[in-house]
Amino acid sequence: MKKRGQVTIFIIIAMVIVALAVIVYFVYPKIKTTTTTTNPNDYIQQCIEKDIETNSQKIAMQGGSFNPQNYHTYNDEKIEYICYTNEYYKPCVMQHPFLKQYIETEIQNSIQEQTKSCFDSLEQNYKNQGYDVSLNRQNYSVELLPNKIISTFNYELTLTKDSSNKYENFKVAVDNNLFELSAIADSIIKSEAQYGDSEITAYMTYYPWLKIEKRLRDDGAKIYILTDRDTEDKFEFAVRSVVWPPGYGV
Amino acid sequence: MNKIKIFAGIFLSVLLLSLISAQISYCCEKVKDTGAWCQNMDSKDKCDPAYSAPVATSCESTSYCKAGCCINSNDGTCSQNTAKKTCDNSKGTWIENAQCDTEQCKAGCCILGNTAFFDTLTRCKSYSTLYGVEFNFRNDIQNELQCLTIPNLDVKGACVFSQNSTKTCKITTRKECNDMSRTNQDVLFYEGYLCSAEKLGTNCAKTRKTTCVDGKHEVYFVDSCGNVANIYDSNKVDDTNYWTIIIDKEESCGNGNSNRDSSTCGNCDYYLGSTCKPYQRGQDNTPKYGDNICRDLSCTYNGVRYQHGETWCATNTQIAKKDTPGSQYFRLNCYNGEVDYELCDINRQKICVESTINEFKNAQCIVNLWQDCNAQDNKDDCENKDQRDCKWIKTTTSGNMKLLTEYCVPNYSPGFDFWNNQGTCNNIGTDGKITCIVKYETSVLGGKDCVENCDCMNDAWRKKMAQVCTSVGDCQLEVKGGDNESSKITP
Repeated sequence: MKKRGQVTIFIIIAMVIVALAVIVYFVYPKIKTTTTTTNPNDYIQQCIEKDIETNSQKIAMQGGSFNPQNYHTYNDEKIEYICYTNEYYKPCVMQHPFLKQYIETEIQNSIQEQTKSCFDSLEQNYKNQGYDVSLNRQNYSVELLPNKIISTFNYELTLTKDSSNKYENFKVAVDNNLFELSAIADSIIKSEAQYGDSEITAYMTYYPWLKIEKRLRDDGAKIYILTDRDTEDKFEFAVRSVVWPPGYGV
Repeated sequence: MNKIKIFAGIFLSVLLLSLISAQISYCCEKVKDTGAWCQNMDSKDKCDPAYSAPVATSCESTSYCKAGCCINSNDGTCSQNTAKKTCDNSKGTWIENAQCDTEQCKAGCCILGNTAFFDTLTRCKSYSTLYGVEFNFRNDIQNELQCLTIPNLDVKGACVFSQNSTKTCKITTRKECNDMSRTNQDVLFYEGYLCSAEKLGTNCAKTRKTTCVDGKHEVYFVDSCGNVANIYDSNKVDDTNYWTIIIDKEESCGNGNSNRDSSTCGNCDYYLGSTCKPYQRGQDNTPKYGDNICRDLSCTYNGVRYQHGETWCATNTQIAKKDTPGSQYFRLNCYNGEVDYELCDINRQKICVESTINEFKNAQCIVNLWQDCNAQDNKDDCENKDQRDCKWIKTTTSGNMKLLTEYCVPNYSPGFDFWNNQGTCNNIGTDGKITCIVKYETSVLGGKDCVENCDCMNDAWRKKMAQVCTSVGDCQLEVKGGDNESSKITP
């Protein structure tokens, strides 16, 4: 009799645990949603940061371009030519003069859809909670800064229920060193445009955290791979400058 | 006679026109297939019709694709060799100076707080705003390395302050310490002192722990408050003086040496091949105190040890013969314990040369100046190293030799695009052939006596000619004639 009582207790405990698990499984996402929507800045940060991370990584591996147009294929990756000439002996012509600005624009364009989707869902979440929502969407920008990427959304959100709260200038920060890598790339490209080559070991001497690989391809194009030795972050780009033809070149 | 003249005139005109048309290039504002901006193409059909109509001239002669300097007036970036159209697309200001050799684009040393970098004045100002620190632009420094190694101008010392009724301390600059005094009344700065100095009476004491510091290469002692102290020196772990004032790197243990793998001294030197890294059992010597060591950054390649920063040459052929078809020159480098490579050129149009100074190897990929070897007719001009990379090949012949057997050939034979019918070695002799006519006379007794160019029948002469042929480039070698009809010498 005593044994049977013990078994019943264990069964009851097991049922309680299962019931709790079911409650947590179904209710927790709602709890989570509620907490995120209580702070619009945090919500936007969480909603967009993953896209910025992924897209900036893709852009970094493709010569600063989200959809490369004039590219060299290397290890099945399309890598944009930053400086290019199709001729022999001639220095390359710059294709994207201000690299940092170009990368910023590419990241900005790449997160356009996600930005819209995140602000739409933010608006909807508050409406569902009974708020009167006014969202004035103006412009947004992406800026590469030392060790981070900052996206600033010049949007104005006003939430009214019992009282009125106003939120402006949403900022999303992502840790990334594209700023540093693109600055080095810029310097290499300048050297390529002027001399048709660059001395990579000098950069590695100046910047101990940096590893540079230069891969010469059959058509005379060069792929530069810049790696941060500490974070393993990479930036790859292509250049074709002062190419020597085989033989006499006739 | 007139008809002949007219015919000859027409023939020459057609020939001239065909030559001109063969050289015509069209400037495409945008190339249709690749999307590249401002390229000279051999056909106007290759240009994107959505942009400016292709002009039968080089891009340099057009207003929209002429190369110049593109300046970003917002942040001071200067972009060289940039076409006007590309610059306009990027909202830059274009000036007619392809190398950006202007005052606005002149770089100098920008010192911001404790960091320095080599850039333009506008960029320096822009970063100053970005970081919120004052800048010092030194245009007298015209060398990036000199700029990066400029000593810190901000003096450091112990910033003593009260926290929760305890007298504590932080190693910082005078400026930072002064900033702290705005929010805390009991703040005093002791220039050149360490927080562990007994006379300061703070709660920071000496320890036996060490640390690596971001942006620095040495191993440092660390005090009980977590402040970085002097460079690790096991002999001074209990030396009160060593824990009192800041000692320069130059006055610390083992200065001028890399101190790699030293268990007693943490004065690592990146340029001499060591840097601070956490100690790893089995890889490093065990440090006497702490958990960090000067890690050796040298490399081992093919059983040879190379120092950090050394560069050297290699080829992809293991055989003794050099410059065979497919062979290439590589420049290898050793950095941070890793060996990497850089291919000089696909077709040996660039070669690798190396030199050794004080047992430190330095290699460079340089242009192979072989193109005018064949035009040289004397040894001095041929082997003038300032002008070309050629060598003089001369065969020793007997008195009856009439054939010229002196050639100026490339020292490093270039690669030819031989699979596209290039590389028939037409620049040797006539039509790429070295023909030697050997004369015999029939003797009275009926036998044959060689009387002229007899050396051509020797294997030694043929091998020498084969050497000439292989030196010219990726040539096909074939020896015909005499007893060796259709026999071949392979390179």
